[in-house]
Amino acid sequence: MKKRYIPLLLAFVPSTLQAAAAATELEGSFKVGPAIILIAILVLFVMIGIFFRAKDTTDFYAAGRSISRVGSGMAIASNWMSAASFLGMAALMYGSGYHGLAYVVGWTGGYVLLLILMAGQIRRYGKYTAADFIGDRYYSQSLRAVGAVIAILISIAYCVGQFGGIGLMFRWILGLNYGLSVIIGGAVVLTYTLISGMLGVTKNMQVQYVIIILSFLIPLFILTAKFDYFWLLPQIGYGSVVTDVIQGVPLSESRQLVNSLGHEFAMVPAPEFAMPWDPASGQTFFQWIAIAFSLMIGTAGLPHVIQRFYVVPKSSDARWSVVWGLFFICILYWSAPAYAAFGTILSANPEVGKLAKDAIVVYTAQLGSVHPLIVGLLAAGGVSAAFSTVSGLLVAGSSAFAHDLYVKVIHPTARPKSQLIAARLGTILMAVIVTLLALKNWALIGQLVAVAFSLAGCTIFPLFLLGIWWSGSNKQGAIAGLIAGGLVSVIAITYFIAGREGLELPFHDFISYWLEAWYFAIFGAPLSIIVHIVVAKLTKPTPVEIRKFLIENVHS
Amino acid sequence: MENSSEGYHISFFKPTTERARYNRNMVIWLVSIWFIAIFGFQILLKVIGKPVPQAEYLSFENAWSNIDGGNHTGADLQELAASCLSVLGKITLAPEDKPVLDDAFSWCVYHLSPEGTRQDLLNEIVNYRQTSAGISTIEDPEYIRSKSFLSVKISPLLGISEYDVRRNIIPFALEAEGMGEMKPETKGNLPAVMEKYLVHNQSVLTDIKFLGFPFHYFYTAVFLLILFVGLCWLYCVRIDARNKKLGFSD
Repeated sequence: MKKRYIPLLLAFVPSTLQAAAAATELEGSFKVGPAIILIAILVLFVMIGIFFRAKDTTDFYAAGRSISRVGSGMAIASNWMSAASFLGMAALMYGSGYHGLAYVVGWTGGYVLLLILMAGQIRRYGKYTAADFIGDRYYSQSLRAVGAVIAILISIAYCVGQFGGIGLMFRWILGLNYGLSVIIGGAVVLTYTLISGMLGVTKNMQVQYVIIILSFLIPLFILTAKFDYFWLLPQIGYGSVVTDVIQGVPLSESRQLVNSLGHEFAMVPAPEFAMPWDPASGQTFFQWIAIAFSLMIGTAGLPHVIQRFYVVPKSSDARWSVVWGLFFICILYWSAPAYAAFGTILSANPEVGKLAKDAIVVYTAQLGSVHPLIVGLLAAGGVSAAFSTVSGLLVAGSSAFAHDLYVKVIHPTARPKSQLIAARLGTILMAVIVTLLALKNWALIGQLVAVAFSLAGCTIFPLFLLGIWWSGSNKQGAIAGLIAGGLVSVIAITYFIAGREGLELPFHDFISYWLEAWYFAIFGAPLSIIVHIVVAKLTKPTPVEIRKFLIENVHS
Repeated sequence: MENSSEGYHISFFKPTTERARYNRNMVIWLVSIWFIAIFGFQILLKVIGKPVPQAEYLSFENAWSNIDGGNHTGADLQELAASCLSVLGKITLAPEDKPVLDDAFSWCVYHLSPEGTRQDLLNEIVNYRQTSAGISTIEDPEYIRSKSFLSVKISPLLGISEYDVRRNIIPFALEAEGMGEMKPETKGNLPAVMEKYLVHNQSVLTDIKFLGFPFHYFYTAVFLLILFVGLCWLYCVRIDARNKKLGFSD
């Protein structure tokens, strides 16, 4: 590389720095600096993908089962850290204070369940996809197909929030309206997925993790240092920011601390930011518990998360990869509330106006006068987080379509070429559906993603939990449990969509409160498990070969 | 959960090997700790939490009983206006609640202004509204002048000091139209709006400070995540050790 390229690269630097100054505007014009950073990061991901290209199917689905524990942990974290984590979590806390912590707890606590109830056993079962497991464990091609359809629906629900995040960041970078930004962002992420989807996914995820976490942490160190808090460990240092929000920050004589619009770092007391289930947040104790519970069991039922345990050599590696993965995830989750706390003070002046909550992470850095290039890196990190998750979900969804539905159910003699075409068409179709749904802008990113968790909690989680731990769990029980969980899901999602579209269905307020779209698994999952057990007890036992396999391969 | 019709039975609750028993016990212990740590703490917060009003709410209650009874003084108006500003400065303020607070605040300001200056005040508010609607940048000189004129002129009327952040909110809360009369819907809704924003669930767990955080916030946002990683680590270490002892390999 080559000395001759260096002058060329250096020639870009002044123009990049100059152009990046545009990033000081909260909204509005095209921001060249952040755009260049974003393109550079995406090109880097594609290049890494090409370098670590998958050589065959096993390599593609399971990375050759050669990933280390720490490496697999990073891949789990990268796969997990989507726009919902990067942008959505701070948005939820910015908007509803302590209530938002239900998402932090829910999205991390589920890993404990995943580890102690499933990780090692799933690895020993030895399948590639959730639908594979369901079809095999419940000895039913129909259930395999249903499992694949559910995996696709979960992927779509998960992607809608991600596309919303991509749209917001593209709006910020390109200076366009939300609708156009979603369409452009959707087209870019689809192209990226089609190029990189068959490449070295796991290796790529490790690099993505490093970039995403650095882009998230660097502005936070700067913010805590700039506003005179304990900056060496901002995840602890922001405790004083929370207390300042509660007690209020008076105007100072010196006017040393100001935001990028010239407003003083000051605000009226706002205990509602931190006090539990505060009336001002409009959220209740039940909703906090329901969200945390639904997210936790959803975590243990998400197909693309479960799939990560197939990529490690041994079941003990699967277990340790959860520990590392959770630790890497927590680094971001310990930090996100700090953005919400800083954002609350920095945007307190009415002149700032109503900000799009889902972009509060970027606005906070901007209002905190962080250097425009670093704000650009932060926005690019947000897009990267969404891209890495979306490409993984689109690949998982199209794999479910091509591998579990098309080849295993619809056309068993399909050639590899037609399987590949089916996968590509599945990817494009999913991207189009997701874009159309994201344009509706029905809720905050975190809430939209939570719908996928409740869906997984009501459907996949009971099948895996009982399928692994109870040999009496049979096909009939699985079908009955799926119907019960599916019914609750359909009711909750129907009421949610109807509400957003202005339709008033019978018992609307009652259903919307107790079966809200982001926590219906609190009732749906237990119901599905109970129905599954009762029906299994009343019907034919599980075939002996399945039980033998469980004993000899999964639990021995 | 046991199926006993044939051999090869797996049941989490009825393990048949030493390793399975150990695993079951570990899982039960860890899930119990996990469950109590998360939900037990939130239930405790709920049980011991009491609605605690902010100081501004107590001022509001005192002032409002006099205002509602029609025997208010200037001090009552000052208290009500300052309380309204305390809520108007909150970023969680719902758009539907703002007009209620704007109306009550503007009414207080009108009645606290000396009669001879009221028309000038109304003119300046109208001028500020028109200027703010037409500007492309908040650095517009006329906008800055008009905004600071209102803050400087009105804050002494309200007894708000120079370093009170509520000064900054004054221009944004003034409504020139119908300033002399408080709307009936404002009278009806104001107490509920004030209670919604100025009364909070608090307890000893929210009042204690730990590393700068309110304790409950630290516990939920920081400690629980450390606990989750710790539980996962403990499980892996113990299971690996047990597997090694029993000669079990993957």
